[in-house]
This record gives sequence, structure tokens and C-alpha cells, in this order.
Amino acid sequence: MKTDDLISALAADSRTEPPLKAFLWPALALALAVAVLAVWVALGFRDDLLASLGDPFSVMRFVLTAALGGLGVRLALVLARPEGRSLARLWPVAVPVAAALGLLVLAYGSTPAEGRQMALVGKTMTTCLVTIPLLSVLPVAAILAGLRRGATTSPALAGFAAGLGGSGLAAMAYALHCTEDSPLFYVTWYGLAIGGVTLAATLIGARVLRW
Amino acid sequence: MDDWGTLLAEANSGDSRAYAAFLRTITPVLRGIVRAKAGGLGEAICEDVLQEVLLAVHLKRHTWQVGAPVRPWLYAIARYKVVDAFRARGGKVEVPIEDFDEILAAEAGPDPTEAADMARMIGLLDDRSGRLVRMIGIEGASAAEAGQALDMTEGAVRVALHRAFKTLAALRERHLQ
Repeated sequence: MKTDDLISALAADSRTEPPLKAFLWPALALALAVAVLAVWVALGFRDDLLASLGDPFSVMRFVLTAALGGLGVRLALVLARPEGRSLARLWPVAVPVAAALGLLVLAYGSTPAEGRQMALVGKTMTTCLVTIPLLSVLPVAAILAGLRRGATTSPALAGFAAGLGGSGLAAMAYALHCTEDSPLFYVTWYGLAIGGVTLAATLIGARVLRW
Repeated sequence: MDDWGTLLAEANSGDSRAYAAFLRTITPVLRGIVRAKAGGLGEAICEDVLQEVLLAVHLKRHTWQVGAPVRPWLYAIARYKVVDAFRARGGKVEVPIEDFDEILAAEAGPDPTEAADMARMIGLLDDRSGRLVRMIGIEGASAAEAGQALDMTEGAVRVALHRAFKTLAALRERHLQ
């Protein structure tokens, strides 16, 4: 087929795909709503949720996870465009990560030596490590599905962004239930859960986001 | 916004004449890029790769944001597809995007040879879709004329044509791996 003939045929196809955000925002909102609902129904919100918002250490769980989630989603939106690879900036992700590590050091210093082990292990480590990845499935899938409607030229990095965004938001939903307010606990275990999901999403993205 | 941006914006809002003009404008530039990166692979293969890039541009044109510069967007698609296409054909190419601006001045060459891959892929489509693409592309039929010949409404023709291109891209992806 001559290229000119192909162009004639292409030009006759006036249907364009809908913009990516038209899919991503509703899908992500739905996924997040399901995650919050699942926490509420299956685990229940913590009884002292309102009171806990007076504790800065407790509030930081929401702040840090929301920051990671938001930055991940924003990075995914940039990377969804073909030229996004050269526009994407990774360093903002380092800000909440550095803040979390700072908090960890701070809590290590302020926790009496004999209490550190208990604060680190907490009572709900397993629940945390199982629940956050489970809650991540829908949000990460929503972002990946949105990215497939885009045209990323760096599939693995876009998968990373989807994983970070989805698991950050999922961890935020989980924090509505979780009563472990020591950074020694949540930086460690939330961080491990988010890191695991993000790694998995990076590998998945490298495969499913090719086009 | 430059002339490419104007054309593409009109194209994306459904102006098929502007879209054809856009594709005809970018084609020599893309051909120059492909040939410069072919590293001795023949002209026919280059034309295959060029058509692959055009199909990708077609199916991803909604990812261009009105007002954004067209060139970085277009070259990013070209780079991604050219590397992919030559890798699949056994060549190894590195396509640093900065080089593109120099290549653009390169002579694109006047006579595009006929490419074989797209015709082969069209042959793998279902009968009606294949006829549709050939009628509109090669015979120059309008959507209405093609619809009459194939006993379809014009709307159905448009849906089928769009689906045919998506299938072609998917076939190509599978074929190359």
C-alpha cells in the first residue's frame, strides 16, 4: 500500500479517542470510593478518628500518603503523553519520602529505648501489610487503564507512577482504620507496602503499557 | 501555535481535510527521520516503518494537547515507534531525540516506494474491514460511497474504519514480537 493511500484512509477516520482524563478521574474516584467503603465495612474506621486528628504524628499518616498518591497520579498524567518522558520530574516524590524518613528518625529519638521495639512492630503489622496491597488493586488498575488510553513512551516509569499513586491513595484509606500512630510503625510498614505495590506496578507497566 | 498546531487542532475537532493536510505535511519529515535512522536497511522497510509511525500518530492523536508544541509530541511518538520497529526487524538503532532537528533538513527523497507490511496486515482483517480500508484508501471512495457498496450506513462505516485501524495496530504489535 502506498503511503499516500494510507493517509487518505487515515484521514477518512474522523473518530478520535476520548481524552484520557475523561476516563481517569471517574475511574479513580470510583476506585477510591470502593477502597474507603471496604475499609469502613470490613475493618471499620477507628473509634477516635476525630480526636486522632489532633495528634500531628497521626495526621502525618494522611499527609504523607496523600502526597505520595497525588504526586504519583500527577506523574502518571505527565507520562501518559508521548513527550512526557522529557517533561516528567521525579524529584518531588523525594520530598514526602525524605519527610517520612525524617519523621522516622525523630520518632526513634523521642521513643524511649525500651519502647522502640513495641512501637515498630505494633499490633497490626500483618493486617497493614495485607490490607494496603489489597486496597491498592483497584486504584492502581484504574491508573494503568487510564495510561493505556494515553501514549506513554516510558512504560516502566509510568507503571511506577501508577503504583505509587494507587498505593499512596490506598494507604490513605487504610489510615482511616489504623490506630498505630507511631512513625516507627507507619513509616516502616506503610512504606514497605507502598514500595512493594509500586515495584509490582513498575513490572506490570513495563509489559502492559507498551503500544 | 504554529501551522502544525493549527492543522492538528482542526483535525482533532473533526476536520478531515485539515487532518489530511497535517498528515501530508508531517510525512516527508517523518520519512527523513526513518531513513536517517535505518542504518542501511532498504527503502521498502523504511516505508513500512513510516506507515507504522503514521498509524501510531493516527491512533494517539488525542494525546496531543491543544496549544502544546506539536514537534516534541510528534518526535516522541516517532522515536518510540522507530526504535521499536527497527529492533523488531533485527537492527539496533539509537534515536536521540535531539538529533531530529538536524535530520529535518535532510532530503527526504522524492519517490516513496510501495510498502508491503500494511497491505499484508490489511489482508489479516476480516473481509469487510479489509475491503473498507482498501476502498477508501486506494480507490479514494468516500465513507458514503463505501457504505453504499458494502451495504452499511455511513455511521457504521466510520465505526468500522476506526475499529479497523485499531485492529491493524494490534496485529502489528503481535506480528512484531
